[in-house]
Amino acid sequence: MFARVLAFLTANFLFWPTLIVVPMSFSTSVSLQFPPPGYWWGYYSAFFSQPNWTGPMLNSIITATATMVLTMLLATPAAFALVRLNFRGKKLFRLLLIMPLLVPHIVLAFAYYSYFGKLGLVQTYAAIVLAHACIAIPVATLILTAALQSFDSNLERAAASLGATPLTTFRTVTLPVMRPAFLVAAFFTFINSFDESVIALFISGRDTATLPRQMFNSFSMDADPVIAAASSILFSLVLAGVGMAAAARLVRARLAARA
Amino acid sequence: MPALASTSTGPLRGAARLVQSPVFLYLPVLLFLAVFFVAPLSMIAWMSVTEPGIGLGNYAAFFGSGRSLRVLMNTVLTAGLVTVCAVLIAYPVAYVAATSQTLFGAALLLIVALSFWTNFLVRTYAWMVIFSNNGPAQSLLVTLGWQPPPRLLYTYFASTLAMTQMLTPLMVFMLYAVMRRIDPGLLRAANSLGATPLRGFLTVFLPLSAPGIINGVTLVFITCMGFYVTPILIGSPRDMMISGLIAEQMEQFLDFGGASASSMILLALTLVLFSIYNFFFDIEKIWSR
Repeated sequence: MFARVLAFLTANFLFWPTLIVVPMSFSTSVSLQFPPPGYWWGYYSAFFSQPNWTGPMLNSIITATATMVLTMLLATPAAFALVRLNFRGKKLFRLLLIMPLLVPHIVLAFAYYSYFGKLGLVQTYAAIVLAHACIAIPVATLILTAALQSFDSNLERAAASLGATPLTTFRTVTLPVMRPAFLVAAFFTFINSFDESVIALFISGRDTATLPRQMFNSFSMDADPVIAAASSILFSLVLAGVGMAAAARLVRARLAARA
Repeated sequence: MPALASTSTGPLRGAARLVQSPVFLYLPVLLFLAVFFVAPLSMIAWMSVTEPGIGLGNYAAFFGSGRSLRVLMNTVLTAGLVTVCAVLIAYPVAYVAATSQTLFGAALLLIVALSFWTNFLVRTYAWMVIFSNNGPAQSLLVTLGWQPPPRLLYTYFASTLAMTQMLTPLMVFMLYAVMRRIDPGLLRAANSLGATPLRGFLTVFLPLSAPGIINGVTLVFITCMGFYVTPILIGSPRDMMISGLIAEQMEQFLDFGGASASSMILLALTLVLFSIYNFFFDIEKIWSR
C-alpha cells in the first residue's frame, strides 16, 4: 500500500508538469503567464503557416526520413552478421556498434561541427542525416538482433531446400516474419532523429534548421509563443502513439484470452 | 551457428556469392562508423593536443582553472544528485508495475511511457512555464504564505528538479526490466516462513532487483553528465555543467582546443564509468536475452 502511494505520487510528478503546455498553447498572452488571461487558436494557425515553423517542421521530416532509410540499410546486414555469423573481431564489432549510445551528444555535436566543417558539410541536410544515422545505428541494430535471435532459421533452410534462391528466400520468408521488427526499428530510428536536439542545434544551419533547433532558439532568443503550440502538437503525437500501442496490446490480450 | 552460406544447397555463383559473403554484411556499417563516428571523435582528440600548439596545454589549462574544475565538480555532483533522486522515486513505480497485475500497474507504465517519449525540449519548456515569474510554482508558494516568492527560474533547484523528472522514466524502465523477471513465489515463500512484508522485501526482493538498480544508476548518471539543453535553459549560469562549458568554449570563445579538451574529459569520464560497469556486468549481455 505504501509503495502504491509513492508510485502514485511519482506518476503525478511525471504526468502533470508536461501537460501545462496545452493550456499555454491556447493562451492569448505573449509571455509565459499562467493561468492564461484568455484563449484562442492563433498559435496553431501560426505554427502551420509561418515559414519559420513550417520550414523546420519540413526539415525535420526530411532528415528523419533520410536517417531512417540510411540506418536501416546499414543496420539490417549488421544485425544478420551478428546473429548468423562468426567472424574474427566480432566482439570488437559489437562494442563499436553500441559506442554511439555512450558518447554524450554535446561531444558528438562539437566533433561533427569540426569534422563537417573541414569537409564543407556544415549546415547541409547530409551532415544532420549522417550524424543522426550514427546515433540511430545502435538502436536499430539492438532491436533487429533481438528479433533475429528468436527467428527460426529452419524456415529459411526449408525454403532453400525447396529450391528458392537466397533473394527469394529473404523476400518471401525472412522479410514477412521479420516485418514487425523492421517496422519497430524504423519507427524508433525516425523518432530518434526527429527528437534529437543537441547535434542538430550545432550543425544545422538556418535553412536546414530542424524543429528542435527552432524550438531551442525560440526559448533562448525571441520567446516566440508559438513554441507552446509546437510543444502541444509534439505531446499530442506522443499521447496518440502511446495510446494506440496500449490499445493494441489490450486488444491482443483480449484475443489471446478468448482463444 | 551455421553461416548464412550453408542455408542454400549447391555452389553459389556471381552476385549471390558476394551478397552471402560475411564481409558484405558487416563492412558497410563498419566503414560508415569509421568515417562518421570514429574519425570525427579522433579529430577532436587530435585537436585537443594540437590546437593552438602541440602539447598538453589545453588539459593543463582545464585542470589549472578553478572555474573549469568547479564546472567538472558540479557536473559530477549534479548527476549524482539527480541519479539518487531518480532511483528513489522510480523504484516504487517499477515495483508496483512489476508485482501487481492490476489496472493501476498498467496505468503507471502508460504514464511512464508517455513521459519517456515526450521530447526533452517540450518537457524543458513545460518546466520553464512552471518556474517562470508569477508562474504556477510561485503562485503556489504565495498561497502557502511565502511572500514575496523566491525566484525559481534559472536556479540550481529548478534545473535539478527538471532533470530528475526527465530521467526518472528511463530509470523506471531499467528497474522494471529486471523486476518483472523476479519470481513472485519467492516473496510468498518468505511470507509463509514468517517474514513480515517489509523483511521479505528487504531480504528477497531488493537484492534480486539490484542488477536493475545498477543498470539504471549507470545509464542515468552517464546521460545526466552530458545534459545540455535543460541546464542551459532552466539552470543558473553559475552552476554550469560541462556541456555548457564546451558550448561556451566553441561558440563564444572560438577556443576549439579548449572545447576539444573539455569534450575529451567528459568522454573519458563517461567511458571510465562504463568500463567499470562493463567489468562487473558484461555489456555483451544486451545482445542476447
